[in-house]
Amino acid sequence: MKKEVTLSKKLESELEFHGVNRRDFLKYCAAMAAVLGLSEFEFTTKVAHALEAASKKPAVIWLEGQDCAGCSISFTQILNPPAASIILDKISLRYHETVMASAGHLAEKVYHDTVKEGGYVLIVEGSVPSADDRFCMVGGRPFRAIVEEAAKKAAGIIAVGACATYGGIPAATPSKGIGLDKALPGKAVINLPTCPVHPDHLAGTVLYFLTTGKVPPLDKIGRPVMYFRESVHDNCRRRSHFDAGRFLKDWNDPKQKEWCLFQKGCKGPMASSDCPIRRWNEGINFCIDCGAPCQGCSEPGFYAGMTPLYTAESEISKRIWAMREAGLIPRKES
Amino acid sequence: MGKKITIDPITRIEGHLKIKVEIENGKVKNAWSSGTMARGFEAMLIGKDPRDAPFVTSRFCGVCYSVHQITSVRALDVAFGAKVPWGGTLLRNLVMGAQYIYDHLIHFYQLAALDYIDIMAIAKYKGKDKDLLAIKDKIVGLVKAKDTYPLTPRYEPDDFTVKDPEIVITAVKHYIDALKVHAQARNMGAIWGGRTPHYQNIVVGGVTSYPDINQVARFRTMLDEQARFINEVYIPDVLLFGTGPLWPLAEMGVGGGHYNYLSYGAFERDPAGKELVFPAGVIIGLDPANIKVDPFDHKKVTESVKYAWYKESKPVHPYDGEQVFNLEKKEAYSFVKAPRYDGKSMEVGPLARMLVAKNPTLLDLVGKGAKPGAVARHAARAVETKLVVDACYNWLDQLLTEMTKPGFKIHDTAHWDPPEAGMGAGFYEAPRGALGHWVKIKNKKIENYQCVVPSTWNASPRDEKGVRGQYEEALIGAPVPDPENPINVVRIIRSFDPCLACAIHIIDPQTNEIRKFVIE
Repeated sequence: MKKEVTLSKKLESELEFHGVNRRDFLKYCAAMAAVLGLSEFEFTTKVAHALEAASKKPAVIWLEGQDCAGCSISFTQILNPPAASIILDKISLRYHETVMASAGHLAEKVYHDTVKEGGYVLIVEGSVPSADDRFCMVGGRPFRAIVEEAAKKAAGIIAVGACATYGGIPAATPSKGIGLDKALPGKAVINLPTCPVHPDHLAGTVLYFLTTGKVPPLDKIGRPVMYFRESVHDNCRRRSHFDAGRFLKDWNDPKQKEWCLFQKGCKGPMASSDCPIRRWNEGINFCIDCGAPCQGCSEPGFYAGMTPLYTAESEISKRIWAMREAGLIPRKES
Repeated sequence: MGKKITIDPITRIEGHLKIKVEIENGKVKNAWSSGTMARGFEAMLIGKDPRDAPFVTSRFCGVCYSVHQITSVRALDVAFGAKVPWGGTLLRNLVMGAQYIYDHLIHFYQLAALDYIDIMAIAKYKGKDKDLLAIKDKIVGLVKAKDTYPLTPRYEPDDFTVKDPEIVITAVKHYIDALKVHAQARNMGAIWGGRTPHYQNIVVGGVTSYPDINQVARFRTMLDEQARFINEVYIPDVLLFGTGPLWPLAEMGVGGGHYNYLSYGAFERDPAGKELVFPAGVIIGLDPANIKVDPFDHKKVTESVKYAWYKESKPVHPYDGEQVFNLEKKEAYSFVKAPRYDGKSMEVGPLARMLVAKNPTLLDLVGKGAKPGAVARHAARAVETKLVVDACYNWLDQLLTEMTKPGFKIHDTAHWDPPEAGMGAGFYEAPRGALGHWVKIKNKKIENYQCVVPSTWNASPRDEKGVRGQYEEALIGAPVPDPENPINVVRIIRSFDPCLACAIHIIDPQTNEIRKFVIE
C-alpha cells in the first residue's frame, strides 16, 4: 500500500501563500521522485522538511553607519507586539550592534555567515559618508563597502530614519552623508524616514513583509503609502487656525496654546506622514502637540532644506506662505 | 611582547568603537581606544541660526537623546541673555529626569547584563514559577530551533559569570520586563517632550509645552511605576550581583583606571540653582577613606590632539582650539580628542558624580571593600537613578504650585530672537557624564560651536605625555586568561556606558579650513 505523506498545516498555509495547492505540490513531488529514482514518500518528506526549514524565522541584519542609534531605540519602543517578542519570536536578528550579545570577531563572523547564506532582510540605520570612506569604519572596513556587500544578497532592504533614507542631518556635514537612494542606486529600498523612524512604521512594514512576502505599496520616493499618504497639515488639529491666520507667538499664553505654529517654523504642509493621527509614544504626544513645529523630517530636504528651523524665514516656509496666499493649500472645510 | 588583540566593533554601545589590548601573562598590559566614525556636526552648524543647534546636536546620540539639546540650550540661554522661568526649568528637569531613568535601565539590562550571566544556564532551571518557566520554554525553544540570535554567539562564560539557573532566569525575566519599563519611561518624558528619542519641547529660553493638570497627574502615575521597578527590581538586582557573584571583581577593583573624577553638576532643586541633585566638583587621586573634592574650574580644561586625526597642535583650552582634520597622521589612532583637567586624565559619569556627591550608599559599598571600578560603576548608576526619581516627585509638586500662580511662565519670549553677537557655555551632566557646549554668535548666526562630551573624556587616546585615557587605563591589569575570550575587556568598557557618536569632532576635510574658537 502506498504510504500517505502528511503535510503540516503550517507548510500547507505557507504553500498557499505562494499560490501552490496541496495537490499540485504532491503531483510535482511524484514526478520529481520518478526522475530521481526515489520513492515518492521519501522524496516528498524530504522536500516538505526542507520547505519547513526554509519557512523558519527570517534572518535580519541591521547595519548602523553614520547614525545616532535613535532608530534602534525607537524600535525598542514597539510595545504591541512587544519588541522582545519580535526580536525573539518573529525574526532571527543576526547582527545589530546595539543589541547583540557578541562583539568583535564573533560579531563579524555572524555577519559574514549570514551574508553568505543570503535571503535576509537588510535594515540600514544611518547614512553612508560620501566625502571619504574613513569617516565611518566598522570592523576595519568602510561602511560603504559593507552596505554594498550586504545589499547584494538581501531579500529586502529597509532604510530606517532620515539619515539612511535621504541623508538627513549628516548630508549637511563635511562628511557628506548620503542615504541608500544614492548609496545603492537602482536597488529597491523601502524608505521609512522621520527622525527617528516611527516604531509603528517599522513594525508594520516588517510584519507586512513577513506576512505577505511582499513589499507594501510605495510612493514615488520609496515610502509606504499606508503611512505617508497625507500631509501633516492635512490632519493637524491646529489647521483651522492656519486658515484663520491665528499664529502662536508666545508659548506662555494659554489662549494661544492651540494656535498654528507656522511662525515658529512649522513645515507641516510640506511634510507627509501620519504623525498627527498615529502620534508617537503609544499615542501620548507628537511634536506639534507639545507646542513644537513640524520640521519635515519625513522629507528628502531634511535638514538642509528646512533650516532655519524655528522661524518662517526658510525657503520652504516662504513657499508655504506663498501657497497659502494663492489658495493652493486647501482650507479645512473644503 | 604580549599578544595583541583587537575588538572591533565593540557592540551594545552607542557609536563605533574599537579596542586594542596587549595581553601578557593573562592580564592586559597595554590598551588603545579608537573612535571610528565621524560626521562633523559642529562644523556644519557654523553660519546657521543658533536656535537650530539644540535640535541638531540632539542627534549626536539617540540612546542618550536630548542631553545635547539641553546642554545646547543652556549655552544659548547664556548667549541670548535669556532668563528661563522656573516653570520652564522644572519642565526641562522632568523630561530629562525621565530620560535618565530610561537611560540607566537600558544600560544595565540591555547593554551590560549579558556580559555577566550564562544565559544557557536557564535550561537547568528546576523551579515552578510560571513566568520563569515560560522564559525557560522560550529560550529552550530557541536552542532547539538552533536560532538563539541575538543572544548568541557570545564570549564564553568565565569564573565571574553567574551560572546559578535561578539567578540567571530571574535576570533574563528582568531583561524582558525592563524593555517595557524603560519604554514607559520614554513615554513619560513624551508627555511634555512630544516624542522620543529626541524631545521637541526644549528651546532657548525655556520650553514649548504649556502644561495642564492632567499631564501632571499622568506623569506622576507613570513615575510611580518607574519607582516601583527601580526600588524593587533594579537596585536589588545590582546589589545582588555586585555584592554576590561579582564581589570578587568589585574587590579586585577591575576596571579602576586613574581614580580622577569630574562632575559639572546638574538638576537644580530650587529656582536659584543653589542646590543640585548632582553637585559639581573634582577629585584627583581618590582616597576612599578621605575624599577631597575641589571646585570645578573650566579654565583648567585642555584638549590634546597628539594621537587623534587632527593636525598637530599643543594642548589648549577648548575655547582656544585650532583644529585641522588630518586623516594621514601616522601616530593617530582615534577621532576622539584627549581632554585633560589640569593635565590629568579624568573619569566622568555616575561613579564620578556619586563620589563627588559623597553619596552614602555608594561610600558604604566602598567601605566594605568594593574598589571603584566596573562593578562600582553599575552600583553608582543604580543609586543615582533613585535620586532622580525622588527629585522628579519634588519637581512635580513644585510645578503644580507654579502652574496655579497667576502669570505662570514656561518661556522667556523677550529673548527668543538671536542677539547680534554673543557667546555662552552650557554645562550639564548627561547620564554618561560631564557634557559641555560652547557657542559663539556673530550677525545672529553661529560663528563657532564646540562640544566636549562625556565619552571624549572617558574614551580619549593618549595625550602629549603618553598618559592613557580612562578606558585605556581602566583596562590595565584586567584578567584575560584566554585571549580568544576577552570578556573582561568588554565588561570594563561597557561599565562606562560608551557613547561614541558624540565623542567625535572634526573639521572640514574638503577645505581643510582652520576653525578658531576664542573666548574673550
